[in-house]
Amino acid sequence: MDNALKLIFPSDPRYLGVVRGAIERFAALAGFDEEDCRWITLAVHEALTNVIRHAYHNKYDQPVELRLRERDEGIEVVMVDHGTGVKLEEMSGRDLDDVKPGGLGLHMIREIMSDTQYMALDGRNELRLFKKRGSKTTAGE
Amino acid sequence: MNIATRQQGSSTLIDVNGDIDLYNSPEVRKIILEELKEKKVPRLIVNLTGVRYIDSSGVASLVEGLKVSRTMSSRFMLYGLSPAAREVLELSRLIRVFEVFVTEQEALEAK
Repeated sequence: MDNALKLIFPSDPRYLGVVRGAIERFAALAGFDEEDCRWITLAVHEALTNVIRHAYHNKYDQPVELRLRERDEGIEVVMVDHGTGVKLEEMSGRDLDDVKPGGLGLHMIREIMSDTQYMALDGRNELRLFKKRGSKTTAGE
Repeated sequence: MNIATRQQGSSTLIDVNGDIDLYNSPEVRKIILEELKEKKVPRLIVNLTGVRYIDSSGVASLVEGLKVSRTMSSRFMLYGLSPAAREVLELSRLIRVFEVFVTEQEALEAK
């Protein structure tokens, strides 16, 4: 059997804590240490809040699918939604020297994960995140 | 998440307990902005000792509080950051813009 976990849940922020719990424990099962588990959880959480806010425009009853998979070299997370797609040119984190609220999530995802791929096709948006074992995230660098 | 305010001399403290994420960061933001804009407190200290987790929306609420405090000529301070909260502020490179203290006493006594 494929070593994967699939979660389907509504785009309601009330479930964020439940989903974080599942991600953190899955990352631990996949062999990541406590600190990396926290980072991976943060990155996936940020991607999920982006779906709620930007793809579903804070509509809390829309479907989100999350697949977590153990790979030889790390962990792969695939997140699927059916909301508003994002144009690739709009997917840029903000300048961190500009101190203002917002725009931090994408920066965090890119700092933490080893690889990030996004596809929007026929009303289906798929974000694929990969974290390689041994690729450390260092805060503030 | 629980959030409560209390007074210590001229300082107003906000005690936050639990996770700060997209679900409840609007409440944190509302209380911070109420204290600064409506009550016009001179010194606002946010106690994060009981916060296990904070996401970018929580960080954004703190940044907004900091920016409003500057326009209101108030002080805005944080203390009691958990390792997870500190990591998130460091990753977003925002730790340097806040006045961060380890203990409540240090925050209260800061000149």
